[in-house]
Amino acid sequence: MSNRSDASARASGAVLLEVEAISLAFGGINALSDVSFDVKRGEIRAIIGPNGAGKSSMLNCINGFYRPQSGTITYKGKAVHRMRPHDAAKNGIARTFQNIALFRGMTTLDNIMTGRLLKTRSNVFYDALYLGPARREELKHREFVEHVIDFLEIQAIRKTPVGRLPYGLQKRVELGRALAAEPDLLLLDEPMAGMNVEEKEDMSRFILDVNDEFGTTIALIEHDMGVVMDISDRIVVLDYGRKIADGTPDAVRTDRAVIDAYLGVSHG
Amino acid sequence: MLYREAGQFKTSYAADQAILPILQDRIGLALILLVAYVVVPLVGNEYWLSTIMVPFLVYALAALGLNLLTGYAGQLSLGTGGFMATGAFSAYKIATAFPQLNIVIVILLAGLVAAAVGLLFGIPSLRIKGFYLAVATLAAQFFLIWLFNKVPWFTNDSASGVISAPPRAVFGHVFVTGAEANPQGKYLFALTIVALMALAAKNMVRTSTGRAWMAIRDMDIAAEIIGIRPLSTKLLAFAVSSFYVGVAGALWAFVYTGAVEPLAFDIDRSFQILFMIIIGGLGSILGSFLGAAFIVFLPIFLNNAPPYLGFQIAVSTVTELQLIIFGVLIVFFLIVEPNGLARLWQIGKEKLRLWPFPY
Amino acid sequence: MGFLYSILIDPFVQIAQQPAFFLEVVIGGLLAGVMYSLVALGFVLIFKASGVFNFAQGTMVLFAALTLVGQMEAGVPVWIALITTAIVMVILAFGVERLVLRPLVNQAPIILFMATLGISYFLEGLGQLLWGGDVHTLSLGIPSGPLIVRGVLINKFDLVAAAVAGVLVTSLALFFQKTATGRALRAVADDHQAALSVGIPLKHIWVIVWAVAGLVALVAGIMWGSNLGVQFSLVFLALKALPVLILGGFESVPGAIVGGLIVGVAEKVGEVFWGPALGGGIEDWIAYVLALVFLLFRPQGLFGERIIERV
Repeated sequence: MSNRSDASARASGAVLLEVEAISLAFGGINALSDVSFDVKRGEIRAIIGPNGAGKSSMLNCINGFYRPQSGTITYKGKAVHRMRPHDAAKNGIARTFQNIALFRGMTTLDNIMTGRLLKTRSNVFYDALYLGPARREELKHREFVEHVIDFLEIQAIRKTPVGRLPYGLQKRVELGRALAAEPDLLLLDEPMAGMNVEEKEDMSRFILDVNDEFGTTIALIEHDMGVVMDISDRIVVLDYGRKIADGTPDAVRTDRAVIDAYLGVSHG
Repeated sequence: MLYREAGQFKTSYAADQAILPILQDRIGLALILLVAYVVVPLVGNEYWLSTIMVPFLVYALAALGLNLLTGYAGQLSLGTGGFMATGAFSAYKIATAFPQLNIVIVILLAGLVAAAVGLLFGIPSLRIKGFYLAVATLAAQFFLIWLFNKVPWFTNDSASGVISAPPRAVFGHVFVTGAEANPQGKYLFALTIVALMALAAKNMVRTSTGRAWMAIRDMDIAAEIIGIRPLSTKLLAFAVSSFYVGVAGALWAFVYTGAVEPLAFDIDRSFQILFMIIIGGLGSILGSFLGAAFIVFLPIFLNNAPPYLGFQIAVSTVTELQLIIFGVLIVFFLIVEPNGLARLWQIGKEKLRLWPFPY
Repeated sequence: MGFLYSILIDPFVQIAQQPAFFLEVVIGGLLAGVMYSLVALGFVLIFKASGVFNFAQGTMVLFAALTLVGQMEAGVPVWIALITTAIVMVILAFGVERLVLRPLVNQAPIILFMATLGISYFLEGLGQLLWGGDVHTLSLGIPSGPLIVRGVLINKFDLVAAAVAGVLVTSLALFFQKTATGRALRAVADDHQAALSVGIPLKHIWVIVWAVAGLVALVAGIMWGSNLGVQFSLVFLALKALPVLILGGFESVPGAIVGGLIVGVAEKVGEVFWGPALGGGIEDWIAYVLALVFLLFRPQGLFGERIIERV
């Protein structure tokens, strides 16, 4: 597996995640209305749309933070009306957040280690004694996390409390925490927000590498059209909580409805 | 130059994970242990051992317990006194009901009882956060003290409501509680228990248990999304914390004061321990000890310094001054160094790394 | 078996058999509750306007009462003492804003809460240092003594307290709703940053709020002090106010009143009818357990707003 030229092959792969007729409302506001799309195994799926289109809400439904009023989420063949956060995490869904949800009081290393928590077999008693199983688990996971740290090139800030890191590095650490969980589906909420050109290139490279080397399926929300067109296999476009387009980058780029939405042409 | 890490390379993750990776720190700890185990008992007189060192250890243990819950897991608790009382009274009931039971077992069992009670009062913590949780722990505090006051079973129907620790020995004939116990014995007993529990605490906070707690503290929503179960993590924090606090209460009754009534564990005690961990440093094992030391030594300082400097202060004034100083210090630390004395210590160590160079 | 009966059946039987007495207890509880409301009002003010839970409110009540009583005992005429104390509370507000709130402006609520813990210790020590730790009697000529209305026994003092609370609540409610400052206060409570960006001077707002809370504390101090004597235990009012706020909602002025009433009634009724079966002293904890139950089922209180978390 190498680059985007395999897109068509990926586009016809098996479906990993499918959302059907998802509707979500907060009080009187309809965040999502009847949204359906799928994400195929091994692809990079972008979710785009103007601000307030419901993109983050969609991700939040997928990993169980919000409960949609109606619709079904089918992940790895199992269909549910509401995903529970713990089940999502256990079944290999990991994510990053728009506003960075790192654990400010902990170091980079510790933050990424928390990503391994679901895979850690230990309990408080072993931990307190730090003999045998706890020690082995600790070292085993430390080794894996160091691989992630090498991959993301953040060795130098290993022991820095994340609250002190610059924004771009924090986003990278958050990606590391998600990667540490060895996810099957990686949800990225605006991973490039607030970054300069260099940082965006780095992040794009990481995302592509994750997809290439580990075969991780990725669904990402992103505003930078250049990035989106470059790295995604397929794109879903949302506007005012509805899906208005769904297809390959070329198809979406020229779609009338999409252009209207972004230019702010109002449609009733 | 003394405190440099240069030249100390870690060639394995195991070495890096050690509690004290820097050689100088290890030497420092060895020295402290040496002083604590050998010098203090030899040099200290009864006053020092019984009214300063032992309460310091007991307070430190209670502060440690509260720090695990509030500093590491982020769950504010104002019920520390009530859980100490639970430990004290449970130990009393168990010791009097099973006189042949070893005192160490008694104390550990008392801790377990406190842990169970803590677990119970921690159940609301899933739905309640921040200082709302403080209210639940306040309920625990007032209810428990009322319980131990009202229900005669806890004091074995004593008319005065005071429980006295029965004499018990370890290793057959070394008495650590009761009238026959000597100060050195009590001190070493308390020291050993506290040291071991501190080690366990340090182990817990640097492994997955601790990371899960800190994740819940920092952002419990994100923690849930990466798969941490908030309820069981919080309950575990309550249970472990209450265990520590319960053992501290048992030690208080058995080794420190020898006789205790519920009033000794009232709401003021809870605030006192909270104050210790704020000053000492939230989320720091060392901080728990520093905070406890501060509280134990401040009154002594206030009592003894003025005569040294040539003027007298009335006893009541000392108490009032203490309150004023406490208040000012809490605010001061929160503004200047929310991580307390422990962080100041860390900063000091950083400066030491460069000393005698300025930067 | 007998114990269960005495908890689950007997109290209700007693209530049914003595309706007039029950009414008396309830009214007594309502009026006691009004006193709690007076203290809770101060909390609500500060919480509404700065999002800070002021643990020192109870100590402020004590400090205000002490300052008043201390002056009166030194021979200062009542009116001057009142005015001086009011000024002292205002100066206190300035001090708190300058030395505590401003340096901690963007910190987490729990840090601010702990800072008020510090203020509480400080005021406690200062108050006792200045005026001594004994109990002082405060007599301002507030009528007290029993009054019988249609066969029900009521205490005149409690009625006065209720009237005072009523006046206070009405004026505060009007203040918040009708005046520009009140509007600014509500804006600040909602969002510090947004309020700043609209030009609302945060510092002034905080001083105003803490000053008003201080004056409310003075009123509460007068009422409680006349009732119980001015003594250290007034500080525990701070703790009792917590359940009141939880029941009523932390940001609601009417909630503080209703919450206080409920807590007052619960305590009195609980103590009189359930107390004997449990050995007495229920008042120590019944308010907190009630609050706990509320927290589990309706954490925002009766008048509060649901909190939605967004990520």
